[in-house]
Amino acid sequence: MLGRTWILFAMFAGGLAAVGWAVYGSRLPPADFTFINETEVASVDPALITGQPEGRIVHAIFEGLVRPRADNNRAEPGVAEKWEISDDGRTYIFHLRPDARWSNGDPVTAHDFLYSIRRLIDPQTASRYAYQAWYIVNAKRYSLGGSALTPGDPVEVELNPLDGLPNTVRGKLLLGKLVRIDSRTSSQEKSESSRDRVYVVERDGKERHFQIAEESDNVAQGVERCRQVLLDFREVGVRAIDNRTLEIRLDEPTPYFLDLLAFYPFSPVHRGCLEKHGKPAWTRPENIVTNGAFRLVARRIRDRVRLQRSENYWDRANVRLNVVDALSVDNRSTALNLYMTGMVDWVTVPPAEVLRELLKSEPPRNDLNPAPQLTTYYYLLNTTRPPLDDKRVRLALGLALDREEITRVATGAGEKPALSLVPPSMPNYEQQKCQPFNPEAARKLLAEAGYPDGRGFPKIEILYNTDQQHQAIAELVRKQWQRELGITASLRNEEWGSFQDSQQQLKFLVARRAWVGDYLDPNTYLDMFVTDGENNCTGFGNAAYDTLIADAAKEPDVEKRMKILESAERLLMDEMPIIPVYFYVSRNMVRPKVRGFYNNLQDTHPLNAIWIDPNVDDKAPRPNEYMEPVQ
Amino acid sequence: MTINNASSASERLPANAAKGVSLGKDAWRRLRRNRMAMASLVALIIIGLLAFFTPLLPLAPPDKHHTNLQYEPPKLFPLFAKSFEFDLDAVQASRSKRSETRRELAELEQRLEQIRREAEPNSSLALETSTTAIRRMSNELSNILQRPYRNAGFPDLGAISRWMVRTRYTLLGEWSLGSIAGRDEFGRDVLSRVFWGARISIIVGIVATLVSLLIGVTYGALAGYIGGWVDDVMMRIVDILYSIPFIFVVIFIITILSQDDIKAWLESWGIDRITIFYLVVGAIYWLTMARVVRGQVISLRNEPFVEAARAVGARQSRIILHHILPNLLSVVIVYLTLTIPRVMLFEAFLSFLGLGVEPPNVSWGLLANEGVKVITPVKVYWWLIVFPSAALGITLYALNFLGDGLRDALDPKLAAR
Amino acid sequence: MIWFIVRRLIGLVLTLWVVFTVSFLLMRAVPGGPYSGERNLPPEIEENVKHRYRLDRPIYEQYGFELGNILSGDFGQSMRLYDFDVNQVIAQGLPISAALGIFALSFAVTLGLSAGIVSALYRGSLADWALMSLATIGIALPSFVIAGLSIMLFVFLIPVFPAAGWGTFRQLVLPAVCLGSLYAAEIARIARTGMLDAMSQDYVRTARAKGLSKLAVALRHALPGAMMPVVSFLGPAVAGILTGSVVIERIFAIPGLGWHFVQAALQRDYTLAMGLVLLYTLLLYTMNFLVDLSYGILDPRVELK
Repeated sequence: MLGRTWILFAMFAGGLAAVGWAVYGSRLPPADFTFINETEVASVDPALITGQPEGRIVHAIFEGLVRPRADNNRAEPGVAEKWEISDDGRTYIFHLRPDARWSNGDPVTAHDFLYSIRRLIDPQTASRYAYQAWYIVNAKRYSLGGSALTPGDPVEVELNPLDGLPNTVRGKLLLGKLVRIDSRTSSQEKSESSRDRVYVVERDGKERHFQIAEESDNVAQGVERCRQVLLDFREVGVRAIDNRTLEIRLDEPTPYFLDLLAFYPFSPVHRGCLEKHGKPAWTRPENIVTNGAFRLVARRIRDRVRLQRSENYWDRANVRLNVVDALSVDNRSTALNLYMTGMVDWVTVPPAEVLRELLKSEPPRNDLNPAPQLTTYYYLLNTTRPPLDDKRVRLALGLALDREEITRVATGAGEKPALSLVPPSMPNYEQQKCQPFNPEAARKLLAEAGYPDGRGFPKIEILYNTDQQHQAIAELVRKQWQRELGITASLRNEEWGSFQDSQQQLKFLVARRAWVGDYLDPNTYLDMFVTDGENNCTGFGNAAYDTLIADAAKEPDVEKRMKILESAERLLMDEMPIIPVYFYVSRNMVRPKVRGFYNNLQDTHPLNAIWIDPNVDDKAPRPNEYMEPVQ
Repeated sequence: MTINNASSASERLPANAAKGVSLGKDAWRRLRRNRMAMASLVALIIIGLLAFFTPLLPLAPPDKHHTNLQYEPPKLFPLFAKSFEFDLDAVQASRSKRSETRRELAELEQRLEQIRREAEPNSSLALETSTTAIRRMSNELSNILQRPYRNAGFPDLGAISRWMVRTRYTLLGEWSLGSIAGRDEFGRDVLSRVFWGARISIIVGIVATLVSLLIGVTYGALAGYIGGWVDDVMMRIVDILYSIPFIFVVIFIITILSQDDIKAWLESWGIDRITIFYLVVGAIYWLTMARVVRGQVISLRNEPFVEAARAVGARQSRIILHHILPNLLSVVIVYLTLTIPRVMLFEAFLSFLGLGVEPPNVSWGLLANEGVKVITPVKVYWWLIVFPSAALGITLYALNFLGDGLRDALDPKLAAR
Repeated sequence: MIWFIVRRLIGLVLTLWVVFTVSFLLMRAVPGGPYSGERNLPPEIEENVKHRYRLDRPIYEQYGFELGNILSGDFGQSMRLYDFDVNQVIAQGLPISAALGIFALSFAVTLGLSAGIVSALYRGSLADWALMSLATIGIALPSFVIAGLSIMLFVFLIPVFPAAGWGTFRQLVLPAVCLGSLYAAEIARIARTGMLDAMSQDYVRTARAKGLSKLAVALRHALPGAMMPVVSFLGPAVAGILTGSVVIERIFAIPGLGWHFVQAALQRDYTLAMGLVLLYTLLLYTMNFLVDLSYGILDPRVELK
């Protein structure tokens, strides 16, 4: 019997050996700089991402024509060493630097940018940021696919890709002219479907018929199968003049276009890498080819992304960090614990109640310096559903919101109550404010809308993504509405991914949202709310508003343009599809030895500028750029 | 089956019943000797009573914000404070409003009936609007009822609790115990929240366990009693269900059912997340019960007294009901005391994921989770974690020790030593 | 013996198939369908995507298609972690969860067994009470409370362990102890009952009557018998611990499978969820099979059939 027991013990010992193997097999040497990158990055593909954590990684490993400056985030030369802007502000010519290299040694050329911009607006890529490229001539029509085509347009027909090739390789392209679009009613009586459309394309004087269909599908006699029919890409205002010169033409003079180009969707990707490995394999550390200051060397899901200084980067002399770890820790307490025990150097969002305590500490901490940030926290109201389809109800909800209480109780770093969507510190722009807390007026409006004292008002639900602070705010809002208006609200939380879906599909009544300005112009906030805008998320649609936004885009005069945008925000605040709640402040905790880290409005901190000063210890009083007072 | 036989079967019964009683008495005697188990039993009874009579106790309302008193530490003075603003007149007024609304509702329902009866093909729109109107009206009915309590800072209350709150107000007025257990993020009284949390936590534990009991005992008893291939198939099904990761299933179902549109639909049927939780958890924990009961039934089936009952031709249902079920009682009770803690912990786990009870309701799991979030190296708001954890810990300890004691007491083989 | 293994294999295939079918139907029953996340596309592209995933086909065709994929070992791409296949996610997470789990279970078995044995031998004594109370903590407090408190205690008050993370042995200890404490309680209970049971068996009494010491009898004769229920508890526990150490993984930022499990369900990552559910089923089944095999080792009277 003892022998049998020994077998068990042997199994036990084997198990322990396996533990040792698993632990030590996954060890990595320590990094020079480690920071908390919040949630696991959804992807490192610049065209697919939308979030801040992803942005931190992508900005480190890819570099666009221009890159954001570390201190103020304005565009500075990146892959393009210089550029010319035409007098009408509509044409940009970028001259690429000769020493810009991909991590595999290839030069970064204008064709790489051409490829990447086309990929960004290709409907097959389904990029959520494709609309950022719509300033470019015809980019919008290209990205909308067949539905934006009219007879007479030059088109490109993409045939179905051949079997066995990576999924990133496009099918064969046939260029031609669209003659007409036939609508075939299929055998089943369905509503008009794009798959039933037949595109008649003239090519070399011959008319050919194309239908979007897989190779295995049945199509009518004489109709050819294709993957998609798009506007001819040569019509889009991007052109490689030669290997080192890229021309971009815009519909309108867009003053913030350069800043926009520094934004990650416009990062180039390496065509050879994509077409060799296919999606998603090309993003693996062993396959990916990048052109940024860092290379992606390892990724462990929900653990870390490891970056290493790139030896091919043109500005490598000024990149001083060698190895960087971006930890995916989405539990705020854990993140704080890691910072407090010295295991990370930068934590992005410490818990609110901790911040409140830390800001009180005496002497003031040398690693915490909250500064205004270009971000607004607001509540979305779903204007397509009763009772929020009534403007008076929306206004009443806004009036019943005591923002002072929210910033006092639920946020911890001195956030300011927001009465407008556009944050302060937009140059030349005057914020258009909604009315402040006024319960009397709120009750009156609600009564006018048919709900005196909240009588008959249906229960409404506040949706937020799972997070302690969002929950606290929602809880306060619930109480305030109950107290001031007599209406009942409930709370619902969702994880980030499904939360975004719910917003996109308007599956909510009231939801929280925050918007970080993508560039320093009120337009980044206001153009969201055009009818059916990608980030509208309220169902709000107003023709006058759309006109104002379009007019502002066409207006070359700065002052006039700002006036138009001001009237747009005025209209938005009067219609109130959203309730502004507060303006963010940055809440970074950064170890004193970290240099080259600046407070800035977009809370973007490019890793290529950061370095570690070994001579600074944790007790230095005013140790680094981050702690300098902000103007 | 003749009358004769039936009477003889019932004659057999008293002897069996007497045996059951003596077994119970015996067990009770053994249990009384186990001091830990008895202490646990007493503690549980006290906790249960306190939870039930919470609305009568002089506590601040659990959902009353005092945001200017955020994170106030526990203090003994003043021991009593006026913190209970309750509008008794509003309760009176709501009565008349309610009857009015009821009348309107009845009218609406009549109109709906009429529309239905006429059943015109193009009346679907009218049907829909009047259905929404009715839903709104019945919603309003409960709003009128709950509003005075909500304004005072209570979650939605049942009839008995409402009565208790009113009684408490007439007896004690606006006085209630000060914040002797401190205050939370919104300045709510932690002590009161622990007491109110007890109500939900205990009910969640008991109801979900009972659901699992009902399914498990029925299923297990049937499988064990029928035996043969039916038993085989039923137990294979249990095996397969066992291999589905139930954490996943519960989270998945709760996420799906709390989606906007589905939730609205469920709520129109009066099903909220807690109800879903009861059902889902009950439907998952029954597996173990079914196995245990089946085993017990199979061994009971061959006991002489059951065979005797069968020999005299008692009906199947009678045998199950009168002979087998009472003898399952010991297994069931032990199982109960050990499953309730698990369910309560599971509820806490869901709170951790943000899928637990919804505010303004509170449970111990939710409170413990709120407490854990604010123990940081910078500052420890210890009262937020100590009091809820103590309440939860004491209850679960007591349940566990009671369960152990019961098992020892009810298992004659162990007792023989 | 061979017949036993063959039967179990058939059972495994059957179980996997049923679990797959149930999961498949559950996921398709969700309004909006599994690919609702891919909105934002022009309608014709969306149709194209649906077409490619065969969502415009009848459900039985979709079923066959997906079953075929899974049979060929391809669980597809994760729907939230765009850069990874489900297989990669599992390959990265499973060893970590396994290491944590094995370590935690070793701790749990050690604590649980000793508590169980001692309290069975000295029933009713102070030692019994104290050990059982200690072992019960794991099922008397939510795991996040235990983890939170032990972090405060052993990371900040007495700084002996790192706060979180994965990669060194020291980082493993605290999470493993917290995780193990959940199982220690159960094991202690089962071991105690098993010991009491075994001690009343005739062969143990005989051994005792022969004048052997109480401890020797307990360890040599009673323990193997008492181990049987413990082992049969350990089987499913191993499967559960490998995939289900959700809270601990989150609090200690450990990149195992547990948190994926929850995220897949919360975020409706259907492909990952399917992969994990089937993995769990496979693990559980294998563990139960091993448990049955170990019966044969522990108790010579058991014949595998």
